[in-house]
Amino acid sequence: MFTWIEGTPIAQWVSLSLYAYPMLLAVHIVGLAVVVGIFMMRDLRLIGCFKGLDPVAFLSLSKFAWVGFILNAISGVMLFTSQAVTFAGNLAFLIKIVCIIVGMALAGVIQSRLRADTQGGVDVVISRFTRTLAVCSLLTWTGAIIAGRLVAYII
Amino acid sequence: MLDSIVSFVDGSALNQWIVAAYWIWPILEIIHFFGLSLLFGGLLVIDLRLAGHFRRLDPTATHSLIPAVLLGFAMNLVTGILFFFGDPVTYAYNAAFQLKMILIVAAGLNAMFYYWKVSPQMHAWTAQTTPPLVAKVVGYTSLALWTTILLCGRLIPYVGEYLGTGN
Repeated sequence: MFTWIEGTPIAQWVSLSLYAYPMLLAVHIVGLAVVVGIFMMRDLRLIGCFKGLDPVAFLSLSKFAWVGFILNAISGVMLFTSQAVTFAGNLAFLIKIVCIIVGMALAGVIQSRLRADTQGGVDVVISRFTRTLAVCSLLTWTGAIIAGRLVAYII
Repeated sequence: MLDSIVSFVDGSALNQWIVAAYWIWPILEIIHFFGLSLLFGGLLVIDLRLAGHFRRLDPTATHSLIPAVLLGFAMNLVTGILFFFGDPVTYAYNAAFQLKMILIVAAGLNAMFYYWKVSPQMHAWTAQTTPPLVAKVVGYTSLALWTTILLCGRLIPYVGEYLGTGN
């Protein structure tokens, strides 16, 4: 199947065009900064940093994280197609994908927990459960960045 | 000037150490990626609020994120200098790297303008205040600059030389 993917027109374009691969990588780094940046700030806030900042802000900020995620899903799939066989057999790549799936699932749960926790109004109390989720989320995005960078170093 | 910087760095003890310790490069890259996430994530919140988004937030509340942004910048300054020491010839004459450095200086000037001219007025704002045009321009300029800095950084390996060859 991965060999077939490498033969598709998109894969051919990404691997043969002089500009496609670097341009997609460039888009991918901006998406990374948006997604990991926003989620990292949210998680740090939930575990007690930046006390002055109302955590409710992250309910609306998550929309920007989703835009970044879609940007990276598209650029990521396109980058993947060009070397599907290599990536599919790369342990670091597989770990990265698992981390991203867990991180996005956690983002969904944290979003609904945050909505519940902040219903009370001004004096927001972040529940212990939400804080635990935030720690898990920080760990998954840390894992995604480390694994993602190591993709280039592991054969 | 570029040539003298390169000849100073190339062959220095730090240069030789980084070249010899091949495992250091991916570690520096990973730290650089965390740094850029901290910097860009913090600035997204600060600059978008500055430009008038998320009006539920107190306008100055985002200032508590500034230490995270500065920490991210410091991480990337240190790792960035180490990258440069590891491969000075490649970086110094690379067009994407040169543009990236110029844009970082521009982003720094924009941040100083914010600190001295915009930030002092913000204490008079309420959550409902529509930010003045200057605040919107500063906020969006910051995001545009840092986005371009990210793009330039990622394109360094794919871009050719500019301003001489060093030989």
